[in-house]
Amino acid sequence: MRSILTIILNDLKIYSSQRGNLVGLLVIPVLLTVVIGWSLGRIGGGGPTRLRVDLIDLDGSDMSAQLIEELRAANDALVLCPPDNDADDYCRLEDEPLDMDRAIERARSGRTSALIAIPAGYAAALNDFQTVTIDYYSRSDPMQPGPVLQSLNAVLQRTSSASMTKGVSSALLDNLTNAVTLPALDGETRDSFLNTIYHRALQLSTYQPPAVLFRVVDANEDESGIDNGFNQSAPGMGSLYVMFTVLGGMAVLLRERRQWTLQRLMALPLSRAQILGAKIGVYFTLGMIQFFIVFAVGAAFGMDFGSSPPALLATMAAFVLCITALTFALAPWIKSEGQANGLVLLLSLSLAPLGGAWWPLEIVPEFMQTIGHLSPVAWAMDAFQDLIWYDGGFTEVIPEIAVLMAAAAVLFIIGIRSFKYD
Amino acid sequence: MQTMVEARNLRKTYKRADGSTIEAVKGVDLDILQGEIFSLLGPNGAGKTTTISMISGLVAPTEGDAEIGGYSITRQPMEAKRLMGFVPQEIALYPELSARQNLSFFGRMYGLGGKSLSRRVDELLEFVDLADRQSDRIDTFSGGMKRRVNLAAGLLNSPPLIYMDEPTVGIDPQSRRRILDTVKMLRDEQDMTVLYTTHLMEEAQELSNRVGIMDHGEIIAMGTQAELTQQVGEEDRLEIMTGAQNVGEALIGSMQQEIAGVTRVLFNPPEQIGDNGSESTPARLTVFAKRGRTALPQIIQTLDAAGIDIQSVEVREPDLEAVFLALTGRALRD
Repeated sequence: MRSILTIILNDLKIYSSQRGNLVGLLVIPVLLTVVIGWSLGRIGGGGPTRLRVDLIDLDGSDMSAQLIEELRAANDALVLCPPDNDADDYCRLEDEPLDMDRAIERARSGRTSALIAIPAGYAAALNDFQTVTIDYYSRSDPMQPGPVLQSLNAVLQRTSSASMTKGVSSALLDNLTNAVTLPALDGETRDSFLNTIYHRALQLSTYQPPAVLFRVVDANEDESGIDNGFNQSAPGMGSLYVMFTVLGGMAVLLRERRQWTLQRLMALPLSRAQILGAKIGVYFTLGMIQFFIVFAVGAAFGMDFGSSPPALLATMAAFVLCITALTFALAPWIKSEGQANGLVLLLSLSLAPLGGAWWPLEIVPEFMQTIGHLSPVAWAMDAFQDLIWYDGGFTEVIPEIAVLMAAAAVLFIIGIRSFKYD
Repeated sequence: MQTMVEARNLRKTYKRADGSTIEAVKGVDLDILQGEIFSLLGPNGAGKTTTISMISGLVAPTEGDAEIGGYSITRQPMEAKRLMGFVPQEIALYPELSARQNLSFFGRMYGLGGKSLSRRVDELLEFVDLADRQSDRIDTFSGGMKRRVNLAAGLLNSPPLIYMDEPTVGIDPQSRRRILDTVKMLRDEQDMTVLYTTHLMEEAQELSNRVGIMDHGEIIAMGTQAELTQQVGEEDRLEIMTGAQNVGEALIGSMQQEIAGVTRVLFNPPEQIGDNGSESTPARLTVFAKRGRTALPQIIQTLDAAGIDIQSVEVREPDLEAVFLALTGRALRD
C-alpha cells in the first residue's frame, strides 16, 4: 500500500510540475464554470424562465380580462403576447398584428411555447353556467403538460370552481325568493350579487394552495438566481473537465512506456497489480480533485449540494472511476501522443454535450435523450440533478451509480487484460 | 564461484500484426558467476535486450526460466528482483523531476526511507559525480549526465547483481569512459556481478570476464576472450577497403590457394546509402591469414594485378570481432 501511495504522490508531483496541466486543471475549468454558471443563471436563475405565450382574446370581456390576469399571476414566467410584450419585442411580433392564423403558425413552429385562445362569448357562457372551451395550441406533449398548460389548468380549475359557486348561489337565491316572501330582485341587483359571489369564490380559491404548483425559480428566493446556473454548470463542467484530465492519462501512460519509467517500475520488487493499482489511483485522484475544484467554485457562488453529501460523493466517485476505466481500456491501443490528444478532445467534446453537461437533457428531443444515455455523463448528470435539483437521497441515485460502476467494471476488465507494460 | 544467474531454455515468441510469429530469443542457456562482468555481445536486433528483459522480470518468457541467486524470476519475482538493479538502455527517469527527486522516488520503491534514503542518494550522487547538479531537472542534463543518473538509479538498493543494457549508447567519449570505469569499479571494489549488453566489441573486450555472443536470438559462442578467440585459431585478420570494383569468386579462390597462410577470404561489396542511394560505402575484403603481416605484400600484389583499387589496409590480431565474423560471416556492425 505504501508503494502505491508513493507512486500516486510521485505522479501527482510530476503532473503538477507542468504549468499546462495546472492551467487545464484549475484555470480553464474554473473560468468556464463561472462563465457558464452566470450565463445559465441569467437564463434560468436571474428570475423565472420566460415563456413566450400568444394570447388571443376574442371575447374582450371583463371576465376574459380577469382570466388573463389570473393566468399572469399563476406563473410570472409567462410572457403573454402581445399584452406583456416589452420594448425589446420579446414577443418577436415585429410590430405586426397578431391574428389567429399567425398565432397558430407561431405555436406550431415552436416560436412560442403555446397559444391560448379565449373564444367570443366566454363571459356570456360563464354567466349562463354553460360549458365554454378555451383553445390551447402547443408543440409540447399533452401527456406531459408543460408549465404553460399546468398554469392554464390551474387557473381554469379555479375559474370553473368560482363559476360553479356562482351557479349554486343563483339556484340558492331562486329557492330563497320562492320559499320566503322577499321583495323581488331586479336584474341588476341579482347580477351584482352573483358577480360578487363569483369574485369572492375566485378570490378564495386563489388564496388557497394551488392544485398545481409550478416554479422555475430556486427555493432560495432572496438570492439573485445565480444558484440555478451553477447547479447545472458545476456538475456539467466538472464532468467535462474530469474527462479532459483523466482521459489525458492515455498520453501519459504511453509516454511512461516510451521513456521506460514504467519498465523501471516493473524491474522493482513490485507486483503488476501494485503498479496498475497505483496508476489507476493516480487518475482517480486527479479526477476527484478536478470535481472538487469545480464544485468549490459552485460552492463559492452559492450552489446547492442537496441534502445527501455521501450520495453526491458516491456519484462523483462512480463517474471518475468509469472515466478512469475508459482511459485504461483505450490506452493500450494508442500509438502516439497526438492520437491520444485527439481522442481526448473527441471523446470529451462529444460525450459531454451528448450527456447533458452543457445543457439539461430535458430540453433536447426524446430520441436525443435516449442516445445521450450512451454517454456516462448522462448517468452522472441524472444523478446530480436528482441530488442537487430535486434534493434526492442515496436511494434515488442507486440506478445511476450502478450503471456507472457496471460500465467501469467492464472497461477495467478490458483495460487490465490489454494493459501494456513494455 | 557461486552462480548468480542461471537461465535455462529462455525463449520469447512475439505475435506480429498479421498473425505470424517471430522468435526473438531461441532457447538461451546462461550461467553468470558471482563477481564477474558477463557481456552479451551482438548486433542490434540480436535478442540481447529481450534476454535481459526476461531475466529481469520485465517480459515473461514464452518458455524456460531464470534463477537469480536461487530465486526463480517467474515464480518468485519479488525475491529475485530484490537482488538486482536494472539500468535500461533508455533513460528511464522522469524528465520533469530533479536528479535527487528521481533517486529518492526509486529509493522509496525499494523500501528505503528517512535518513538512510537521504544518505544513499547522497552517496550515489557523489559516486556519479553529480552532487552539484542534484536539484536540476533531468531534462536540463546532457546525454552523459542522464546516463549517469540512470546508472545511479539501478544501484539504489546496493544490489549484488546489476543488469546494464547498452549503457553507453549515444554519449560522448568522455562520458563513455566514465561509465566503463564505473562498471569496472563496481566489480573490483564492490564485488558486484554485472550483466552487460553491448554491440561494441571494444567494450566487451575491455570489461568482460566472460562474453556471450548473440545473433538471431541465439548465443552462438560463450567463454572468456581467450577461449573465444581460440575458436578462430591464431589467424590475423586483414581488413582491406577497396574501390567500387567487384572482387570475383575466381580472384578470391586464387588468393586462398596461391598465397601462403591465407585460409579464408570474405568480400562485402559496396552498399548504396543516403537519399536515393546517392552515396556508397567502400567495398571491404576480409582476409584471414596465419602470419598476416608476412602474407600482406603478396595479397596487395595480387589485388593490384587484378586492377583492384586499394584504399586502406588494417591488420588485426584475433579478437571478438573476428570470432563473430568467423561464426556468422558478417561483421558486428552489419
